[in-house]
Amino acid sequence: MADIVFRNVTKRYGTTLAVDDASFTVNDNEFFCFFGPPLSGKSTILRLVLGLEVPDQGEILIGGKPVNSVSPAERNVAMVFQNLALFPHMSARDNVRFPLVERKVAEADIKRRVADVAAKLHIGHILHKPPAQLSGGERQRVAIARALVREPAAYLMDDPISALDARLREETRVELKRIQRELGKTLIYVTHDQEEAMSVADRMAILENGRIRQIGAPAEIYDRPASAYVARMLGSPMMNILPSVRGAGGIEAAEGTIRIVDAKAPAEAIEIGLRPEDIKVRPWAENEMAEAGKGRPARVLEVEPLGGYTVVTIEAGQVRLRAMLRGQPDIRPDAMVAISCDPARVHYFRQSGGALAR
Amino acid sequence: MSAIHLQNLVKTFGDFIALKTMDLEIADGEFMALLGPSGCGKSTTMNMIAGMEEPTSGKILFGERDMAGVPMGRRGVGFVFQNYAIFTHMTVRQNLAYGPRMRGAAKAEIERRVGAIAEMLQLSPLLDRKADRLSVNILQRVAIGRSAIMEPAIFLLDEPLSNVDAAFRAVMRTELKQLQRQFRQTMVYVTHDQLEAMTMADRIAVMDHGVLQQVGTPLEVYNNPANVFVARFIGAPGMNLLKGWPIEGDRGLVIDLGSSGVTPPLPDDLAASVRRARGEVFYGFRPEQVALAERGLSMPVSFVERIGARTIVHLGEGESAVKAVFENDVGLSVGHTAVVAPPASSVRIFDADTGLAMRAG
Repeated sequence: MADIVFRNVTKRYGTTLAVDDASFTVNDNEFFCFFGPPLSGKSTILRLVLGLEVPDQGEILIGGKPVNSVSPAERNVAMVFQNLALFPHMSARDNVRFPLVERKVAEADIKRRVADVAAKLHIGHILHKPPAQLSGGERQRVAIARALVREPAAYLMDDPISALDARLREETRVELKRIQRELGKTLIYVTHDQEEAMSVADRMAILENGRIRQIGAPAEIYDRPASAYVARMLGSPMMNILPSVRGAGGIEAAEGTIRIVDAKAPAEAIEIGLRPEDIKVRPWAENEMAEAGKGRPARVLEVEPLGGYTVVTIEAGQVRLRAMLRGQPDIRPDAMVAISCDPARVHYFRQSGGALAR
Repeated sequence: MSAIHLQNLVKTFGDFIALKTMDLEIADGEFMALLGPSGCGKSTTMNMIAGMEEPTSGKILFGERDMAGVPMGRRGVGFVFQNYAIFTHMTVRQNLAYGPRMRGAAKAEIERRVGAIAEMLQLSPLLDRKADRLSVNILQRVAIGRSAIMEPAIFLLDEPLSNVDAAFRAVMRTELKQLQRQFRQTMVYVTHDQLEAMTMADRIAVMDHGVLQQVGTPLEVYNNPANVFVARFIGAPGMNLLKGWPIEGDRGLVIDLGSSGVTPPLPDDLAASVRRARGEVFYGFRPEQVALAERGLSMPVSFVERIGARTIVHLGEGESAVKAVFENDVGLSVGHTAVVAPPASSVRIFDADTGLAMRAG
């Protein structure tokens, strides 16, 4: 068993709360992602798992055993080096052997374990090559093999592909996910890229200032964010969150340019959240009149064609909101438009930022 | 006039050819993105426009004026780098006022310009804050403001958003575009991020290995890429390209894709060009334009990524791998077989030897 459990773990650096009362369970064989802005505590959590930091309060268990007083070397978790870097002057085989040679493991054992891990990662046929002769995907597999050759219960990665360009990141994240599935080993993964987190994670935790704000499957968090903060963290462009008031014609936001008629709208809601892809935009007809259940016209500020999608920034009263439309609609800056949204797709937030159920 | 003309521009470093005969016309007031992967020559081009590097051969004209031998400081260009240059001991206001003050502008004039630029870049509430207390995001905004306040006729930006976080980047894209729309400077923007280029530029110059691949509006390069490099580089994910041989079918010219099957017939005008060329081709279509169909290319689902509103379905493996983008959950998972059909009008064909697009007609 290689589940990893945090029970009310707190870690301070001086007066700064790096990790604040964190409780979670990473299940055996799970791809678990920590996601948050810089200094939100995600890397500190990794260091706590590795044993490079000791909690001020709370307990950490790996495979059911408390490890607070267990040294990093004896924790049986392995870090994959930043950027999946390999020693360039060594063959792939020597790279993989390295952690065992360093630990003075017997040669027969080294041979067996390198062969094992190479078979699991399908790299047996490239072990003789130096890193420079390997493809990007092969290099990753070798870097992971080097971490796994110690036969850890779990392995960890800290923003491993952030240095790659966008196109390569898209390919690499898929490869990392495939490798983890093949291996079926617990992986704790830190990233600051929301798209990457949603793509790879079985479950993820979203952090803010050292606190875990929500844990769940990416689609679950995306569809039902627990708070306005979490809602803004996933999705690009981010969710439009607008102050709202209850009027005669329904819930109004953005100075009446948005009107939602929703019998199930919770009374305490003071803000509504609209995902850009849920907003419908159509040209405002010249003689059109505003009426009940329909918003007033708003002005298009900017149109960003992405090819498959078009992001339209709309100035609606004092607020700017973004809509993501399918395809290449003919909308231009300064056009007047009507905005609408299916009430079932509207998110509601209370004063504190917490989400409200419909 | 602040149009920029690059004529037969070449830059070599020893044996290395950084830029191979570049010809590009950037119109007065145009927002031009130089887009490509690292090492494509985009920053070298930018540095030569700025006057930081001399061309090995060829000419750079601003309007009618040849820039040969004109030092950087005399070219009248504003420059913003990836790593912002800010005086950290000064306030935001002092940073913004620095340029006009050095030029000896009157105090009232400086105040007016600082106020205007701060308003535009949403820096007004931060004017009296010390720069060393500000986030990277805000510092980059100050850096842009510091350059913009000089109202340069030509504004050069080299990856200015690559160090700021993703959410902020989206906001800054809109603001930069607004800034340019207001001041009407000629803007040259270097980036490796196709999204930035697509969303801000009037036109994009796509570069690779020191060679200009295509110049066009964002939708031109997306809809009608000139070659397979541009097809793959523009779009997220890029265009799907499957190798195959044209063969005559019952209902017109089709492409035999081997294990992936045979495509629906090509539109007549495109088929005519493909028939004339006769060789092996790439059959190209955009992941966003793939629809599930009764008849079409039958491919095994190899991987599914659900990313917020979009689901990227990976089909096939290796040479025959393609991606399809759907909205939300499409109910496909690994092990399923998907039958996909790109609409005939969205299919693009490339010569497999040269990589060049074959146009209809």
